[in-house]
Amino acid sequence: MIIEMREFTRVEGNGKAEIVIEDGEVKDVRLQIIEGPRFFELLTLGRHYYDVPDLEARICAICYLSHSVASVIGIERAFGVEVPEEITLLRELGLIGEFLESHSLHLYLLVAPDVFGYPDAIRMATKHGELVKEGLALKAFGNRLRVMVGGREIHGINVKPGGFGRYPTVEELEEIERESEVLLRLARRAVRLFAQLDPYGAKAKHFVATDGYLWGKKLISDEPGEFHYTERIEERSLVYSFAKQSRYKGEAFFVGALPRLLLKSEMLTPTARRLFEEHREKLETGYVSYNNLAQAIELVYSLERANEIAKTLLDRGIEGENVPVEPREGEGIGYVEAPRGLLIHHYRIDNSGNIAYSNIITPTALNHAMIEASLLKEARELYGEVDEGRMIGRLEETVRAFDPCISCSVHLVKL
Amino acid sequence: MMEELKLGVFELTDCGGCALNILFLYEKLFDLLEFYEITEFHMATSLSEGNHYDVALVTGTVSTQRDLNLLKEARNHSEYLIALGTCATHGSVQGSVELPIREKLKAVYGDGGNPMRALDSKPVVEYVAVDFALPGCPYDKEEVYQVLMDIAKGIEPVRKDYPVCLECKLNEYECVLVKRGLPCLGPITYGGCKAVCVRSGLGCIGCRGPLPGEVNPASEYEILKSLGYDDEYIIRKFKTFARWEP
Ligand code: SF4
Ligand code: SF4
Repeated sequence: MIIEMREFTRVEGNGKAEIVIEDGEVKDVRLQIIEGPRFFELLTLGRHYYDVPDLEARICAICYLSHSVASVIGIERAFGVEVPEEITLLRELGLIGEFLESHSLHLYLLVAPDVFGYPDAIRMATKHGELVKEGLALKAFGNRLRVMVGGREIHGINVKPGGFGRYPTVEELEEIERESEVLLRLARRAVRLFAQLDPYGAKAKHFVATDGYLWGKKLISDEPGEFHYTERIEERSLVYSFAKQSRYKGEAFFVGALPRLLLKSEMLTPTARRLFEEHREKLETGYVSYNNLAQAIELVYSLERANEIAKTLLDRGIEGENVPVEPREGEGIGYVEAPRGLLIHHYRIDNSGNIAYSNIITPTALNHAMIEASLLKEARELYGEVDEGRMIGRLEETVRAFDPCISCSVHLVKL
Repeated sequence: MMEELKLGVFELTDCGGCALNILFLYEKLFDLLEFYEITEFHMATSLSEGNHYDVALVTGTVSTQRDLNLLKEARNHSEYLIALGTCATHGSVQGSVELPIREKLKAVYGDGGNPMRALDSKPVVEYVAVDFALPGCPYDKEEVYQVLMDIAKGIEPVRKDYPVCLECKLNEYECVLVKRGLPCLGPITYGGCKAVCVRSGLGCIGCRGPLPGEVNPASEYEILKSLGYDDEYIIRKFKTFARWEP
């Protein structure tokens, strides 16, 4: 017998799951990504590098800047271009905006209704209006950073190889400095709220992240050594899903806020670090549901870091100079931490600056096996114990804990 | 108070941006909720209670059988259907990958392809009649607000019919095509975005789709050629957001 879950709600994109029951027991779970493939790697093949980050942004709206930045970094590495601190700080500021926008959307509008027992945030707002407003305030601030650095709230084209179209003004940075301080109080409250959630889903065995907090030259995991993704991560096609599934040395693994905290807590800002220590024991159990708590701690990190960066830039002043980019034959990988976890953009470029090979692996594809493992564990525990509706509700919450972004998981290609 | 209109948001294959942009309306979303009740919007709510919609917003391209079924359901059960965003109106970026679907699947999933049924990505306007087409990748959120308010008040919304260039002039942005030689599609692209990319000093990439009518793609082509861009580059640029037209 197969229990079909209907299409997931309060997640981005179209997906569902099937629970396979045999002899009265849960035998298997299949996560089906039914969103159609969008063929981004094919779209970028043969195109001039300069236009590529703008196209890649369209992979996903919630984290478009992560895609632009990963794309830009991949291209710059292929050409051997190094950019100065001013440009990296501004990119970081943009990515922080994306963390704020994405995490607050997820926590306040998509997860909080589960906590309070509502079908959505709009209906929750009648009783918990303050909370919804706080979430929207954080989200709006995140989006302001995305507009400032990225050019628009969604799919801006301001981030370019070698720099930006437009640089922020002193007034804009002053506003960022001020507001990030004011909003910190809300983020701390979010940590308290999401610390109350129960543990559910599987316990992750392996974690993978970039070696810097928001991007890196290489990857790290719970095992020693730095590595390139091709050394330990493998993708394979599934017959029941448009998304491919990745494995770390053959096993399911976890990317996202919780893995970032566990692997890189020493890089956190002071208050975020303190909150991490306070909840360390819980987080270290590795239950995927604590990803929500980890995201709340990252809200605190993001605001503190935005404040630091704005201060630094204001102190040193903005020069607004782009680095010249000369195309040459080369290969480069951009590793970025999207809000939902590791994102990989890998390119080979020919000497006229056109893309000859491209491979993109997104967080939801990396987490695909881990989501299945979590659903399996949860279904085994609940099947026969509670009624089917309850079980399915909890399974949906389990999927949601990953904050999956389905649109972006379906255009992976190995050429 | 008058009866609330039932609003459904249906998401086909896309980046999620056009659905997300509705949530980015913030307070204005609550203004809209004075007139509308959202009865289908799976990114935002677990409720799904509609079988009749006064207004249906459909985002994305038809890229699977599921998309097509959902689109037909939305059309059959709605009074006023809006194709929302360049995916829905022109096919957007996924619609511009010009290869037969079989070959695309093979390139992604290997020799066996993928046993799940995929269709060549096409905009919703290719499959059903729409009552209004609002392009933009994504559309400007003020625009969708205006359109929904108009409908609520019984006014037929008006479609913009001027190029991005006009908005540059209104905002006094320096022309990046003439002054800096950047490949800008502003002259041949639907306005309505407030020329936001030119504000960043960058050329318009045409994300709102090609403006039909009096505009002159041939002269745009000549300008870009004279600036030194080669044929293939120009053609690819023209076609990125523009394989179909509503
Ligand atoms: S039109 Fe653009 S923003 Fe809208 S769903 Fe399609 S790709 Fe996303
Ligand atoms: S300027 Fe062009 S590319 Fe930018 S938002 Fe407007 S139509 Fe889209």
